[in-house]
Order: sequence, then C-alpha cells, then structure tokens
Amino acid sequence: MIKKALNQYEFIWPLLGSVLLWGLIGIVSGKFGMNLLFSSSKLATFALLLALAQMIVVTGGDGAIDLSQTYILTLCAYVSSHLMNTNILLGLAAAVLVGALCGLANGVINIYLKVPAMITTLATGYIIFTVVLLAAPKMKTLPNSEFVSFINSNFHGFSMLTVICIIVALLLAVLLYKTKYGKQLHATGQNRTAAKYTGINVNFIIVAAFTLGGALCGLAGVLCGAFIGGAFQDMGSTYFLPSIAAAFVGGTAASGGKSNVAGVCLGSLMMSFMTTFLNAARLSPGFQKLILGAFLVLILVASVSNSSKKK
Amino acid sequence: MKRKQEQSPYMELVEIDKFFGVTKALQKVHLDIYEGEVIGLVGSNGAGKSTLMKIITGILPPTGGQIKVRSQELSRYTTKEAKEIGISCAYQDLSLCSNLSVYENFAMLNIDHGLLSKRYWRKKAKKEAKDLLEQYFPNNNIDVMMAVEKLTLAEKQIVETCKTLMMENLKILILDEPTSALSTDKARQLQKAVKELSNKGIAVIYISHKLDEIKEVSDRIVLMRNGQNMGECIPDEIQTQELIQMLGGENKSNKSDKESIQKKSNEIILDIKNLTTKSLYNIDMEVKKGEIVGLSGLVGSGQTQLLNAIFEARKRMEKSSKNGIKLNSTVAYVSGDRAKAGVFPLWDIHNNILISNLDQVKKGLLLNKKIAQDLTKHWYDKLKFRAEGIHSPIMSLSGGNQQKALIARGIVSGADFIILNDPTAGVDIGTKQEIYGLLEEAKKEGKSFLLYSTEDAEIEICDRAYIMHKGEITEELNALEITVANIVKASFKEVVHKKQTNHNKKHNWLSAVTGSRAMLPVATMLIMILVNAYMNPNILSYSGLRMLMGSAVPLVFAALGQMFIVVSGDIDMGNGYSIGLINVLVAVVLTSNPIFGIMALLIFIAAYSLMGALVHVRNIPAIVVTLGAQFIWLGFALIFAPTPGGYSPEWLNAIYKFKFPVIPMPIIILIIAAAVSWYILYRAKYGMILRGIGNNPIAVERSGWSYLRAKMTNYAISAVMVIFAGMSFTAVCLGADANAAVSYCMLSIATIILGGCEMAGGLVTPAGVAAGAIAMSFITTLLTSLRVDSNFQTAVTGFILIFVLAIKLISHKKEGAK
Repeated sequence: MIKKALNQYEFIWPLLGSVLLWGLIGIVSGKFGMNLLFSSSKLATFALLLALAQMIVVTGGDGAIDLSQTYILTLCAYVSSHLMNTNILLGLAAAVLVGALCGLANGVINIYLKVPAMITTLATGYIIFTVVLLAAPKMKTLPNSEFVSFINSNFHGFSMLTVICIIVALLLAVLLYKTKYGKQLHATGQNRTAAKYTGINVNFIIVAAFTLGGALCGLAGVLCGAFIGGAFQDMGSTYFLPSIAAAFVGGTAASGGKSNVAGVCLGSLMMSFMTTFLNAARLSPGFQKLILGAFLVLILVASVSNSSKKK
Repeated sequence: MKRKQEQSPYMELVEIDKFFGVTKALQKVHLDIYEGEVIGLVGSNGAGKSTLMKIITGILPPTGGQIKVRSQELSRYTTKEAKEIGISCAYQDLSLCSNLSVYENFAMLNIDHGLLSKRYWRKKAKKEAKDLLEQYFPNNNIDVMMAVEKLTLAEKQIVETCKTLMMENLKILILDEPTSALSTDKARQLQKAVKELSNKGIAVIYISHKLDEIKEVSDRIVLMRNGQNMGECIPDEIQTQELIQMLGGENKSNKSDKESIQKKSNEIILDIKNLTTKSLYNIDMEVKKGEIVGLSGLVGSGQTQLLNAIFEARKRMEKSSKNGIKLNSTVAYVSGDRAKAGVFPLWDIHNNILISNLDQVKKGLLLNKKIAQDLTKHWYDKLKFRAEGIHSPIMSLSGGNQQKALIARGIVSGADFIILNDPTAGVDIGTKQEIYGLLEEAKKEGKSFLLYSTEDAEIEICDRAYIMHKGEITEELNALEITVANIVKASFKEVVHKKQTNHNKKHNWLSAVTGSRAMLPVATMLIMILVNAYMNPNILSYSGLRMLMGSAVPLVFAALGQMFIVVSGDIDMGNGYSIGLINVLVAVVLTSNPIFGIMALLIFIAAYSLMGALVHVRNIPAIVVTLGAQFIWLGFALIFAPTPGGYSPEWLNAIYKFKFPVIPMPIIILIIAAAVSWYILYRAKYGMILRGIGNNPIAVERSGWSYLRAKMTNYAISAVMVIFAGMSFTAVCLGADANAAVSYCMLSIATIILGGCEMAGGLVTPAGVAAGAIAMSFITTLLTSLRVDSNFQTAVTGFILIFVLAIKLISHKKEGAK
C-alpha cells in the first residue's frame, strides 16, 4: 500500500528530502524559518526551469537529452539584456524566441540528420557558446532596471520569480497531462515504434519537445540575467548539475515516457536547499562538488532500479 | 543413417506440455531422438516447432512432461544441461557478432579463456575455420578474415551452421530453416554434410518448409500441428502432395456463415498495382469496403514489408503514389508484436486505447476526462477485459487482453481501414473467438480489414485471401477456396523473380582504400599538415613537429580512452574532468607523496570499472552515470588542488623532452599508443570479446564469456588511457588545474567520430582515432595561425561533429541503395 502510494506520488521523495535539508540547514546555521523556504525557492528558479525543459526533452524517449541548455540560457540572457533596454517585452519575446530556435535546431538535427540527441546537443551547445563569446563584447549586459525591480518584487511574501515558476509549472502540467500533444509525447517516449503505428507524427512530437525545452531555457536566461544583475559568459554552468539532478529525482524516467511536473519542481527546491546547506556547512568547493556528484549517482541508481522493477 | 532395430533412443521427450498462460503451445508432444538419425520436422506456421526446439535447447522449461537422456530422466534441464549432453542449435536469427571476422566468431567458442594467448593462435584459428568451412561446404569462397556483416545472407547462414558444428561433444544438432537463404548447390552441400554427421552418430533435427528437401535428407519425418504430434512417416513411402495434405489436415467445412455474405460494396479502399520494392515483387491487390482480406504464406515472405508499405501510404491519401499504392481512406495499424510495436507499457488500459483518437475526446484545446472515460468504458465492457477496471496497468494483463486493447485502439481511431499484423500471436483460443467476433461486427459497420496471420487456420475467417511466397503473391483465394490445405499449397508454390538481385561485390584497391574507416581521419590529418606547412613551413622541422605533436598527445590518449568505452556501446561524458583529476593527482599528489599517488591512480582505475559495472548491472544509461561521476572527479580534484598549482614531475618531463633521433618523441608516443590499443582490440584474444559485446552481447554470452567482466575491462582500459592523457596533459602545461581539461570531453567525442568509430559500439579504429586527434589539434593550430578568434575554435569542433555524422548518414544511404 505504502509502496503503491510512493510509486504513484513520486514527488514524496524530493519533498521529504527538502524537509530534511531544511531542518539540517536550521541546525547548521541556527536559523529556522519560512524565510529560508522563500529564499531557497527563489534561488531554485533557474535550475527549475531548466529541469522542466530537460524533463520534456527526456520524456520524448530514445535517449533524448539536451546538453546545450546552459548555453542557451546564457545566450538568451545576453539577448534579453541587450534588447530590454529598448523595450522590455521585445527583449523577453526575442530571448524566448532565440531559445526556441536553438531547441528547434537541436530537434531538426537529431531527427532529420539522425545524429544521436546527446551528440547533437553537445555540438550545438558549443556552437551556441561560441556565438556567446563572439557576441558578448558587442552587447549590453546590464539588465533593464524596471524589469529588475519587477523580478525582485514580492507577491504576498513569494518572490515574483517563484510566482512565475508556479505559473509556468501549471501551464506545463496542463500541456503535458491534459492535451493531445502531452499524451502523444508520453506515448512516443514509451515506445516510438508503437507510437508510429498509432498514427502519431513522431518527428513532429520530438522536434516540438526540443523547441519547447529551448524556449523554457530562454525564459530562464531572461530571468537569470535580470536577477544576477547582468549576463556573463559562464553564467549557465552553475545550473547544469542541479537541473539534471532535479529532473531525474523528480520522477522523470531516463528512458522516456514518464514525467512529473510537481516532482521536478520539488526536486529543484531540494537541490536548492542542498546548495544552501553545503554553503551553510562551510564545506570547500571540492567537497561540495563531490557530495553533489555522489548524490546524483545515488539518486539515479535508486530511481532507475525503481522503474525497472515495475516492468 | 538408419537406426538399428534394437537401438534405444539417445534422448526422449515424453508428453511435453508447454503453456503460455492459457495458450497451449505444446500438448503431450512426444519425440524420440536416436543417435545418428536425421529427423525432418515439418508443420505449418504456429505448429509449435520452434517452441519444441526451445525446450530441447533448455531455453524454455516445459510446463509438464519428462526429458530423458539415455533412459535417465533429468529433473533439472536448462541451457547448461543441454550443452553438457551435446545439443547445439543453429538459430534462425543468427547468433553471430557481425563486427567480428568469421574465424573470430569460431574462435570465441572454443578458445581457452586464459589471459595469455599462445603464439600464432590466430593463424591456427584461421586455419581451423577454413578447414571447417571447407569440410562441409567445399568451394564456399568465404574469406575467414572478413567481418561477418560483409557476408551475404547465404554466407552468414553457412557460417552460423558451421559454428554449431564446433561443439566438442556434439550429439544432437538442430538446424532451423538452414537453407532458407541458400542456393540449390549450397543446400545440396548442407544435405551432404548432414549425411556425414549422421554417419558419425550425430542426430540431426532438420526443420524446413522445403518439403522436397526434407524428403531428401531425413530418415524419418515427424509432423506437427497445433502443438501436437500428427504422426510420423518414412520419406520414401510418401509423396510430397500427401505431406502437404497431412499438414493442412482435413478440410473443415465451417463455411456456412460465409454463404450469407452481404451484397458486396464496390467501393475500393485500397488499390495496389505492380508494387515492387527491395523485398516485394509485382504486388497487385485490392481491398473493398466492408471486407476482411487475409494475407498469408510462410513467415518472412514479405508480408510485414507489404503492410508497412501500405501504412506508409497514409501520408498521401487518395493519391496514387509512385510505387503504385492508392489508399482511399484513413488507416490504422494493429501489431501483434505487442512489446515492440504495440503497448505503451507505463500506461493503463484507458490511455492505451485512447491514444489513437484524442481528437474525439477534446473539448476545445483540452482533453475531457469524462468523455474519454465513457469511451474507453464502453470498449472495456464490450470486450470483457479480464482486469480490475479501465485503470489497470496494461502490463498486468495477459497477452490476449493486451491485444484486445490494441484492437480496440485500432477501431477507436475511427479509421475505415485497419491493418492487422498477426494480431492473435500468443493469444488463447477464447480471446481469439472474441476478436473474430469483433472484426465481424466492425465489418458490418463498413470497416475493412487486412489481416496478416502466421496461423493459417485463422485466414479461414476472411472473405478473400492473398498468399505470398518470396515477396510475390502466388495465389488469390476466394471465400470458399480458403482452406488450410489451399493456403499451404500456395505457400510452397515456387516463384521465379524476374528481377535478379545482384550480390556481386567489386573488390579493387580503390574501394578498399575509400571504404576503410581510417580513410577520412588520415586524409584530414594529411591535409591539415599540408595546409599548416603551407602557412608556416617551419612546423615540418624536428622541433616544430615536436611542439605541435606534443600538444596533440593528450587528445590522442583522451580519444583512445573514449574509444574503449564507445567500443562497448557506451559513452564517457565525464572524461574532461577525470583527465583534470589525473592532472591534479600527477602534479600535486604524485610529486609530494608518490606511494599515495600511485594508490590513488589504482583506485581511479577501479572506480572506472565500477562505473562500467553500474551501467551494466543497473542498466542505467552510461551518459547519465558518467555525467554524475564527472562531479565526483571534479570534487576530488578541487580537494587536492583548490587553486591551480603543482608542477610536472621531473621523470615525466624527462620522458616528454627526450630527444629521440630523427623522429620527435611525441610522434613515437602517438604511434605506440595507437599500436598498443590496436593490439589489445585486434590482436589479443580478449580483444574480440571486448569488441563483441558492443555488437551482440547475447552471442558473446552464448559462447560462454562474461558480459560484465568484458565491460568492466573496457572501462578499466579506458581509465588507463585517461591516466596517460592526464600525465601528458601535465607534461604539456607543467602544472595542475582541476578545470583546465574540460574541453577534452567534447574534443575526444568529436575525434572518435572523425576517427571512424561507430557510436553504437563494436566498430572502432585506433589508427583512425590517433590520426583524427592529430587532425583536430592541427585544425586548432591552423585557426590560430589564420588569426581566427580563438573563440571560434569550439564552434569549429561542433560543426565538424555534425558535419562528419551527416556525411556518414549520406554515405550509409548510398550503401543502402546499392
């Protein structure tokens, strides 16, 4: 019974993890309270958006993964910072569009040139990074101050970033679980051959998943650029590991076909608590990375064996 | 060899039952096997021949019955016991590693597993292989050095057959359709070989659809039907016609319901005129509205290809496509291969049915739960699922119930024409009847079906049927003519293709050079060296080469390390950081505390092979494991060296700076590295296992080698390469920085792709990889001397990756077109 409930509500794991880490931080720092929750969820924003994007791509199955995410984020942060000083909405729209185009390129190369997703996104990631390196000196990197104050405003105690995350997560939940596209994406991820015979346009589904993922990375870039006060070349790399970890700990099946928006959100929160904890515990960067890496491998061992049992 | 009167059987199968759930695949089957006897086993599709063979080879345990060997009953019977008593089977699906050469496939089976190999073992193995092939198939012209994938299907079949003859204590040889791809003279040779074996006292079970051949070769013919014995006969005393009749059985006359065929509609749903593809020849067929049309014939006569071609035509509806298929309605496809092409395993019945028609349950943009559930509930009740409800997971259902859901999916899709690809495979008789009822009902509503079944009796429910053989339609049967007997007769009808397929391969030195996997990287390397030399002639001098090649060494090792993981079908996404870790270990730890440093390096190798074990045992994608592990490497590196520092040890500098006469030291290191890797993979005995697991792990395990051990070895060798990469990196940059080597991950992957390795595993070229690495590093030099912004360099690598893979795609397509 408990096992069944655990299988059904996989977000319980990251939820428990978050609560545990919350307590641990309290013990280490001597400070308890809601503020910690608010600040952690605010800091979780960027990894969360990337993790959701990763979840969509991975759900497409067949080893699909997007390794270019953090570079898309960086590029879009530059684009938005540059254009927002002309017009806020223009900057936002352009950044999301650029993100979506990067994703589209990934999908098209993956599907039509039949290059494995991993290699495709590895390659495009470096190309995007090069674009960043070339374009960066010519771009304005300081964000629009109006937008920054909007981002940093509060809504009943919640940061505006958290509000945006919740809205995005809700929209995604509707898309993935309530629409035709969502169903078809999950079907494709479970069994591409069967999906083809069911009449699903598999190519479209996968390319769209990459595009949507890219757009989300673009949005993350916009917010991140504004939040940390400007774009810089290496800004995306911090979020790489937390986002991958959050995507998988939240209940995304590495083999595809299964996603969990709530789980991934809580997973990102947990990773954010984790970072705060590692900082609060005053561990050296080396130990922090070590613990993070070991943690990720352990999560994978646990979660993958779970899903294989179910078969 | 005829058996003597008083001889007792070597092996007896007594009253063997095999049930899959409620499906009775075998019922009280009896088979005696005498030494030196050739048994011809015949039976129509689905008669239970393959199941029986799987029981004899120990792959499947029988549900009931006894297995006796030399009159002793065996209580435990698995593949191990089967091997011990000398049973060997030539599998239809060929259990060869196609990336290995012919003699390696043979050697894998009988070579000792010791670490050291005897001198000239290859020479010996080649000779043995050649002799073996020559003994049974004289003048076969098979080059034992050739990779199996380059052989024709017939040659593969010969190799597979001979492989089964390798067994030391061979007593019973099972040949499952051994001549399906062989030409007449080769089939003759096989028959002669079978006779020879039989004279040596080896029993042969010969399964074939070619009845004349069975009559020719066997001492005794055993007939099977519907999972039961149908009697035996002596080949000389029976006519082929009689055999066909016995297989088809008495003509059942349950055609009464078919008399009441309603007035036929003349609306044509599907019209195929003269369809010819690689595996189909001059197909003409049509399907009318409200008709169930059958498709039958021996398995593998092109039926599935035909169904797929029809399904593909849905994209150009109501237009005649150039291959002659005209489809006038929407189409759905129901597959009987549920696991591969049918179910969505993570879902319940509800979603599995619904997925084909989401538009029907949409309200605005969103799906309406209520409408959706009503729809599936309707089908759930109608089809009488044996389950808890519409939300039972599909995987908890029996095969028959899963199939019901799939058929419901096909009908729910709203398509007017439904293709059924063997929909009742492994479905019990009760469910089958329900499925037939469902088809009848849908037919009355004006739907049309094209039913392909591997069970001949099932075609009897059809209004019309096409029988195929070797990609051609040999017969069209109308309602009353559809009997198993007629189907069997038409299935065996000989066909002569007007179009002859050419297997002539041209062998000349030009194609050998251009076909080599090392061609592209070596050519790129030479071009890069020439272009660089043109820009700056100084680089061809001793010191120039030493400097340039020196900076290429770390990449060569990194790429070779990547190659050892790729050869087993995985990928290492973390080698950028693991090289960084080695860099730190060498420059910081090894210089201050050599013993601890060496220990750390050994632990590192163990950690890598543990990673390989994790990938295999837990079945986690290697990409994710290595991604996670990279942070462990980085973590350790940062602990040992939080800030860049350290120095390259003297002995390392001494090696690196050693002034070798004429040829600069780095070039020597490069050649040694590539040569050693090549030796491990292509000369050493265990190398063929290391390559084999990347291609066909099952075949490797069947030959008695451990998959896990081979994979761990691959990872461990990769770790050693990473250590060399880290050392040479230290020697090049003279210090340690945990983050400095990150780019090697991407570069090494690009290099092995340029170097001609297959990411899918099994096919790697050490020399190509080394050349590729040099080319990559010269590209960087070129960009620098062209004063290209250094920022471009990563992008160039990215483009090379995509470009090379795209070229491969195009060249593969060309090969396919040949």
